[in-house]
Amino acid sequence: MGGSGSRLSKELLAEYQDLTFLTKQEIVQAHRRFSELLPRDKQNVEDSLRERVSFEDILSIPELKANPFKERICKVFSTAPSRDSLSFEDFLDLLSVFSDTATPDIKSHYAFRIFDFDDDGTLDREDLCRLVNCLTGEGEDTQLSASEMKQLIDNILEESDIDRDGTINLSEFQHVISRSPDFVSSFKIVL
Amino acid sequence: MEGGLHWEPEPWGPPGSSLASVLKELPSAATIRYRGPGVLPWGSLEEEEEKDGGRSIQAFAGASQMEQETHPSRELPWPMQARRVHRKNQAGQHGAYSSQSRVGHWARLLTRGQEKMKAGLRGLQPWAWTVKRIGGQFGGGTKSYFSLLRFLLLLNVLASVLVACMVLLPTWLQGTPPGPPGPNASSSCGSYSPHASGLASFASQLFNLLSGEGYLEWSPLFYGFYPARGYLGVTYLCSVFASGLLCLLLILRRSVSGLKQTLLAESGALTSYSHRVFSAWDFGLSGAVHVRLRQRNILYELQVELEEAEVRRRAKARTLGQQARVWLVRGLLNLLVMALLGAAFYGVYWVTEETGRLQEKPLVQQAPLLQLVVSYVPSIFLSTVNVVLPPVFNLIGQLEGYTRSHQIVLILIRTVFLRLASLLVLLFSLWSQITCGGNAQAPECKDCGYNYKELPCWETRVGQEMYKLLLFDLLISLAFALLFQFPRKIFCGLCPGPLGRWAGTLEFQVPDEVLGLIYAQTVVWVGSFFCPLLPLLNTAKFVLLFYLKKLTLFSTCSPAARTFRASMASFFFPLILLLGLVLSAVPVLYSIFLIQPSKLCGPFRGKESIWAQIPESIRTLPRTAQNFFFFLGSQAFAVPLLLISSILMAYTVALANSYGRLISELRRQIETEARNKVFLAQRAVALGSENRPL
Repeated sequence: MGGSGSRLSKELLAEYQDLTFLTKQEIVQAHRRFSELLPRDKQNVEDSLRERVSFEDILSIPELKANPFKERICKVFSTAPSRDSLSFEDFLDLLSVFSDTATPDIKSHYAFRIFDFDDDGTLDREDLCRLVNCLTGEGEDTQLSASEMKQLIDNILEESDIDRDGTINLSEFQHVISRSPDFVSSFKIVL
Repeated sequence: MEGGLHWEPEPWGPPGSSLASVLKELPSAATIRYRGPGVLPWGSLEEEEEKDGGRSIQAFAGASQMEQETHPSRELPWPMQARRVHRKNQAGQHGAYSSQSRVGHWARLLTRGQEKMKAGLRGLQPWAWTVKRIGGQFGGGTKSYFSLLRFLLLLNVLASVLVACMVLLPTWLQGTPPGPPGPNASSSCGSYSPHASGLASFASQLFNLLSGEGYLEWSPLFYGFYPARGYLGVTYLCSVFASGLLCLLLILRRSVSGLKQTLLAESGALTSYSHRVFSAWDFGLSGAVHVRLRQRNILYELQVELEEAEVRRRAKARTLGQQARVWLVRGLLNLLVMALLGAAFYGVYWVTEETGRLQEKPLVQQAPLLQLVVSYVPSIFLSTVNVVLPPVFNLIGQLEGYTRSHQIVLILIRTVFLRLASLLVLLFSLWSQITCGGNAQAPECKDCGYNYKELPCWETRVGQEMYKLLLFDLLISLAFALLFQFPRKIFCGLCPGPLGRWAGTLEFQVPDEVLGLIYAQTVVWVGSFFCPLLPLLNTAKFVLLFYLKKLTLFSTCSPAARTFRASMASFFFPLILLLGLVLSAVPVLYSIFLIQPSKLCGPFRGKESIWAQIPESIRTLPRTAQNFFFFLGSQAFAVPLLLISSILMAYTVALANSYGRLISELRRQIETEARNKVFLAQRAVALGSENRPL
């Protein structure tokens, strides 16, 4: 498995298995992919656990490259003080949340954070507008017209904003998502 | 705090902006932002952390104390290092507990073991990786086709194992089965000699292979081969019931989860826009082309949805006369659909009758190739109908003026009806041949209860028909892929320009493909009583089909522009599958209970009906066992069972109702609480701004 000759210790693997939703093979695979993003001399086990990979490099992997939410995903999972790079454990966190076996609860929690573009803890009109633009593509010709956008957001708030405060908070979001059977199957990234 | 507020929208006004900041400081908002011990709370940058981070972290930690204790570490939405700390704390606590109670320890071991077993079972699933990759490249709808195919494969493998254990093994355990009856061995019910005399040419060999006649007719493939001795009859019948029951249970299990989700989604038809936006993105998609396709797709869907809302609003405002016209058009179109379906069914019936007559002709009987063609005519006709009519339904659906989601469901239902009902028509025409049209007093059927002159071993004949349908279905799929899809792709790749690209873009039509799959499975269910090895053949066929479809998918298809929702798949597919199972049970049960078995072949020869074997063998059991089995079949057992199940059902319905009421009540409560919260916050802000100038 370890193409570069680096192997994670058994204890560490067991711990990662306990702390994430990933299987052993998936963790090993993730480590190999992560190590490949590091410079040649840093590809040993100790360094790969310590080093951080900048967004540019992490976004070059094909699984994330084309995703319109890629910057948000990285930002949400980054634990670096300036939120601009991912460590191996952050990378595992990401894969764990997007894995098959993660609970719907945790998936919807992170989906909320990804969609919360201004990081203020609620989805307001601004967030929803940016979300829809990400979904339809940013180009001029692919966007919804202003009136369509307004109608769409009005409809969404009408449906989901239970307490009528003009924004969607986490529990409202999870309430909607829990009734959407497609969500769990679509919120997945596989290496 | 001021630093983080510059982005606030202006309309709130000066008091409003501080209202938002007050609301943001509420404990409920703080809990969401908490990301575990030692980590910055969500949404705060470093400089903010220095100002008031310490205080809020304290508050956050307090707020989420409860959550910490109950959840397993990996289910917390925290970064790894925070989860690690949490796990250590938890392990410490558990250590303290475990000295007192060993039960917790064992429970943990048990859950660990269960998880391991589940992972092991998941590892046993074939093609897990391929199916995942398909989901990634083509989206959830296409993936659901392949996982359904895999599920059907499992059903067939299980059925094959049952047949091997309960039919094949007992047959050979009691010595080599006897050969076919000779041409001169005749009884009151005519004679039966399945082996064709004389040397067989290659053409007739091929014919035999494709039609299940000649040397295949008296082989383990078909019902007629099995001898009537020992307990073979009982095990034969039991294997059919067992595999039917097993399929029923597995399908129910698969559909229940889908049903639960769909019912939840149905109950809030109101939340369709939110679903469309919040769970629209398939995060597994990779590749710039696919992503762009998907984005265009979503844009299109949203626009259509908004338009549909407009249409619905207009439909509400329609005058009575307009309404009447719409209904008139719909009624006429439905009549047209019924007429088309009726014509198709009659056609199938007529063709089957004619084929029987044609095969009698000496001209046909002398040329094996011609015979092959003639014997395949019903299958060819059925497949043609199934190819031609669905596009017509598609056209009709567009004229009816329903919303698009309605249209898809309608088209699907009509196609399902066509597919399964045409099979039933074929069976019906077979039935009328076997039982002389249900007329027990007809001269051909009077002596033996079935038409012994034309069909000396009618069960084998039904098995042969199903065998032909199975083979023909496979041949059609192969031919369609090899002779149409691949050449088309190649030719269109050769000619450049937009025309070539347009013609070269094939889509994987999930609904059509799935219906084909379910149809094939229904054929197998019908036939597996008359042709015990059919599940085994079908296993091979599905394996082949999987690779064929995978190949065509990756080499010729692009993701569909009109998506088929994964939720619809998880609910709708098992439902149709269940329909297929029920429909296929009808002819099988009918022939088991009501038609006399053939006198000259099969394990039930000489019995009144096939079912008669069961009571007969029960009578050989000891007295108590006999009483028990007959009690199970009596009304004294059935009536209480019915009563108990209806009480349980009523209870469940009442429970569901009360939950529904509770939900709407809680919803109202949330609304009032939220209003209270905003009111109080406004008051606090107003007081604050009054105090400040003073």
